[in-house]
Amino acid sequence: MSAVIAEPTAPDTAQRDVVFDVRNITLRFGGVTSINDVSLQMYRDEILAVIGPNGAGKTSLFNSLTGVYTPQEGTITLAGRPGDAPRSVIGEKTHVINHMGVARTFQNIRLFPALTALENVKVGVETRMKAGPLSAMLGLPYQRREERESTERAYELLTLVGLRSRANELAGSLAYGEQRRLEIARALGTNPGVILLDEPAAGTNPAEKRDLADLIRLVNREHNISVLLIEHDMKLVMSVADRLVVLNFGSKIAEGLPEEIQKNPAVIAAYLGTSAEEAAGEVETQPELHTIADDTANMTSLDDAGATTQEETP
Amino acid sequence: MSASVQRRPGESILSNPLVGRALGCLALSFVLALMIGKQEGTQQDFGLAFRQAVLGPRILWFLLIGVLVFVLLTFWPRVQPYLNRPGIRPLAVGGLTVVVAYALLKWTDSTAVSDGKFGTLSDAASQTGTLAPLARTFFTAPLPWVLFLVAFAVGAAAVVIRRAVLSWVGAAIAVLAGVWAWYSHSLVQSLLGSPDHSTGALVALLGFLTIAAACAATALSAEESANTRGFINGVFAWRPGMPLVGVALLLGLAGFAIATWFSPGNRNATLVDTASMFSTTGLSPLSKAYLGWLGYVLFALSLALAAYAAYRRDARLGWGAAGLGLVSLVLNLVALHDISAVGASTAYDGATGAWQNLGTGGWLACATFLLLAGAGYIVATAGSERGTIARTKADIAAGIGKIPGKSKALILFVLAGALFYPPMATPFWQKVLVSEIGIYVLLAIGLNVVVGWAGLLDLGFIAFYAIGSYTTAYFVGALPIQPPEWMRLSPLLCIPIAIIICLIAGVSLGAPTLRLRGDYLAIVTLGFGEIIRIVAVNNPGNFTNGPRGAFGIPQPEIHLGPIHIDWGQASLQYWYLLLVIVGLVILAFNRLEQSRLGRAWAAIREDEVAAQATGVNTTRVKLLAFAIGASTSGVAGVFFASQIGYINPDNFVLNNSILVVAYVVFGGMGSLPGAMAGAAVLTWLPEFLKDQVPAEDRQMWIGAVILLMMIFRPAGLIPAKRRAAELHGLDEPSSAETTAVAANEGMGATK
Ligand SMILES: Nc1ncnc2c1ncn2[C@@H]1O[C@H](COP(=O)(O)OP(=O)(O)OP(=O)(O)O)[C@@H](O)[C@H]1O
Ligand SMILES: [Mg+2]
Repeated sequence: MSAVIAEPTAPDTAQRDVVFDVRNITLRFGGVTSINDVSLQMYRDEILAVIGPNGAGKTSLFNSLTGVYTPQEGTITLAGRPGDAPRSVIGEKTHVINHMGVARTFQNIRLFPALTALENVKVGVETRMKAGPLSAMLGLPYQRREERESTERAYELLTLVGLRSRANELAGSLAYGEQRRLEIARALGTNPGVILLDEPAAGTNPAEKRDLADLIRLVNREHNISVLLIEHDMKLVMSVADRLVVLNFGSKIAEGLPEEIQKNPAVIAAYLGTSAEEAAGEVETQPELHTIADDTANMTSLDDAGATTQEETP
Repeated sequence: MSASVQRRPGESILSNPLVGRALGCLALSFVLALMIGKQEGTQQDFGLAFRQAVLGPRILWFLLIGVLVFVLLTFWPRVQPYLNRPGIRPLAVGGLTVVVAYALLKWTDSTAVSDGKFGTLSDAASQTGTLAPLARTFFTAPLPWVLFLVAFAVGAAAVVIRRAVLSWVGAAIAVLAGVWAWYSHSLVQSLLGSPDHSTGALVALLGFLTIAAACAATALSAEESANTRGFINGVFAWRPGMPLVGVALLLGLAGFAIATWFSPGNRNATLVDTASMFSTTGLSPLSKAYLGWLGYVLFALSLALAAYAAYRRDARLGWGAAGLGLVSLVLNLVALHDISAVGASTAYDGATGAWQNLGTGGWLACATFLLLAGAGYIVATAGSERGTIARTKADIAAGIGKIPGKSKALILFVLAGALFYPPMATPFWQKVLVSEIGIYVLLAIGLNVVVGWAGLLDLGFIAFYAIGSYTTAYFVGALPIQPPEWMRLSPLLCIPIAIIICLIAGVSLGAPTLRLRGDYLAIVTLGFGEIIRIVAVNNPGNFTNGPRGAFGIPQPEIHLGPIHIDWGQASLQYWYLLLVIVGLVILAFNRLEQSRLGRAWAAIREDEVAAQATGVNTTRVKLLAFAIGASTSGVAGVFFASQIGYINPDNFVLNNSILVVAYVVFGGMGSLPGAMAGAAVLTWLPEFLKDQVPAEDRQMWIGAVILLMMIFRPAGLIPAKRRAAELHGLDEPSSAETTAVAANEGMGATK
């Protein structure tokens, strides 16, 4: 299988600043190997998408990068914000990694449902603030100033994701798509250098998907935040991602530019559940597989092309 | 319904749902019958209580209740629309209030009437020839109950049939009955002539007035279904501050016209009597003027000013009313001090100092002026209130947004009660207020931080209370091992020390237990609580003095320049000390809840993994919760030790820890007012029940109350906004992914 791994084709990668440098990580749960000897580099300011069928180990990769899981083998180094020296994240606590400039969202939305949208974002913003309990109890001026600043920043972020008008609603009462955007706002609140989005478009409608793509591009281009994206919706992935990494059964099977991945027989095989040779044959007979990203009426994602779908719906 | 009832052949009669329900209801009435009355037999006759409970004719009443419940349940769909009619809820509340007044409350404290309850009093009163005929008639056997039943029945009929005439008749009967009861009681009272703290007549009056209000609501409301909350919100929203003015008017009328101002030698002197009583003594001219005319004038002026300011929504007039109210309050207090001081200078009726032998009137006047000042303040600040304010009538009715001034008004009501009720209460209740209610409210506030806000179940909370108490005992030198002379402190100075020591203790309990969640944490903290108690019993190094504990802990005192305050034995003074402490703690914690730490607590409680991924240092945040909760408990410990003067390990048993948890849960986890209300109600209830039920039954009744509460208000008395959302969120199925195996606990995944 290693024979079909496409080498990264971007010519200038050698000079680019590396955000995440993942080398040969393996993560096992008892007998299950959910990540198997995966290496990848993520470069500064790029949008890197991680795709793969269900259970491929994408979320496990995210959890390893953010310290929720600790891989048994391999190394991960991180230079979260521009100018940071690379540091190992293996064994670091999740919140420490977050402070190193890594923010994330979750595949199954994990907001704080009993807090308002505004408060959710403020929790993120405030992890960068200083005022302690004593100054809060006494209502010291600098604590009040921080409080005001965090509220202003939270409102800015809510405006960015288009939720300003819902600021005082409880997060749990927001619509599904809104909750996904709120998670992004909360993550952005921690002032990250890189943001990890785990299926941000799951369960959202086409209009919301378009907005989301715009938002991801905006965050990446205007705010200079590198984006690592897991997504099943191929149209979205192909339209926003600079580069793709494909995982299957915990292993990396391909890496490259969107056009290359679309034509890669190993990738198509992984999604169709057949061998690469058979897939190559099918591509001959079914030319539409070449354009898996096309928004045809009945095929908006590779899931529809045959992968078993376990995606949750709201 | 009848269709489903038909029995197929071969089926047992018991499988018929109606039969099952009927049996269940009858069983319920049987249990109720067993609950009410004596619970124990005698040495000779073990079954006595049982036979008394169920074999006498009184069982019929209980069976009637069972049948009623059965009918209600069975015809629920048909009954239910009526239960949403306007007026039905106040009717029920009023009815219940009158029943409580008739059946449970004391109507007099006089020793002439054995237990002081309504039944005994009315028996005695109806036999008393010297009583005015009007009052005697009221107390004649079935009449009070008949009056109540008629008023209630007419009210109920008015709700069901919705005839305005009927409603007004019901209201008239209710008002008549209430006023009659109140008046007859006051005649009895003046006959008995002893100072009185009983509440029965007042509560009955309030109950009857509520029934009347229910009738009026039926007549006036055009809607099909009631919206009580919307109505209350409407009242508060009409003119911010006006509800306070209304209550102040009633309290002021009662205080200035009816109530006792001074009662030495078992005489009840109203304001007029008091004024003439003191006209010849050496009372200061100002106080003399206050008693004679200034008081009335101030009352009328500040009432008019506050009402006008509220009506015009004029901020400047509002400030004026606030100022006038406060000045009047001070003058009133000066007058009260002066008359009691003059009374004490002649050692009248054994008075030893100021503030003794005062009646309720002066305190009611205090409350009146405080409320009027508060009303002015609300008017002045209503315009600038922040947050989402309900603007339209529909919003107010639907309870959307904030009603300006509502929470301030409620806080002022509570404050007025907390400040001016205790001096009117009996010494017994003053003691209960301090050593039960007050202390446990403080403990509940502390535990609420740990359990309610941070979501960490702590069953050993009383340990910090113990640490606070023993710290005090050590530093005042009440333990066998004495501190060096320069470290000896007065009890109040122990507070900061206790805070620091409890902070350390909280962190050292928290640190090793942080990885545990839920049940595991509860067990470890429970163990911690027991360790502290057993260490205290075992007396290591002769430090804790073993089971005998510490005694001779001095009373707190303050000597600051010209100020000398010495808390002696009287509970009342401790109440005000406690009020200051609790007030400061509430202020601080309220800010804390709205601060970044408060939000971080909510975040880790809701979703620890997400909180970590958002950069919240969960370890630090949890330790802070433990430490802050523990130090609050430590402050309570200092207060307890120096108030009661002696402590021993028995004060710090596991049961107390569990009680505090129960208070917090009962009141509403995560809600500051809830935790306080929970502690107040559940500490008040056993003391209240002392007069009502046999001692052995008390726990059972408390259990029943908690059970009902958890069925009908599972989120607590005053649920936290944040928590309420969480409870509803539980209905949704949680999704898989990383929740399947909690973070940091995945098999072999980490560390
Ligand atoms: N905490 C865990 N304990 C045991 N097995 C786990 C755990 N987390 C992940 N796995 C396993 O690791 C494998 C990869 O799961 P992962 O959630 O990373 O897949 P994914 O690529 O995100 O899939 P999807 O597209 O469905 O989200 C699966 O077989 C899963 O069962
Ligand atoms: Mg996943």
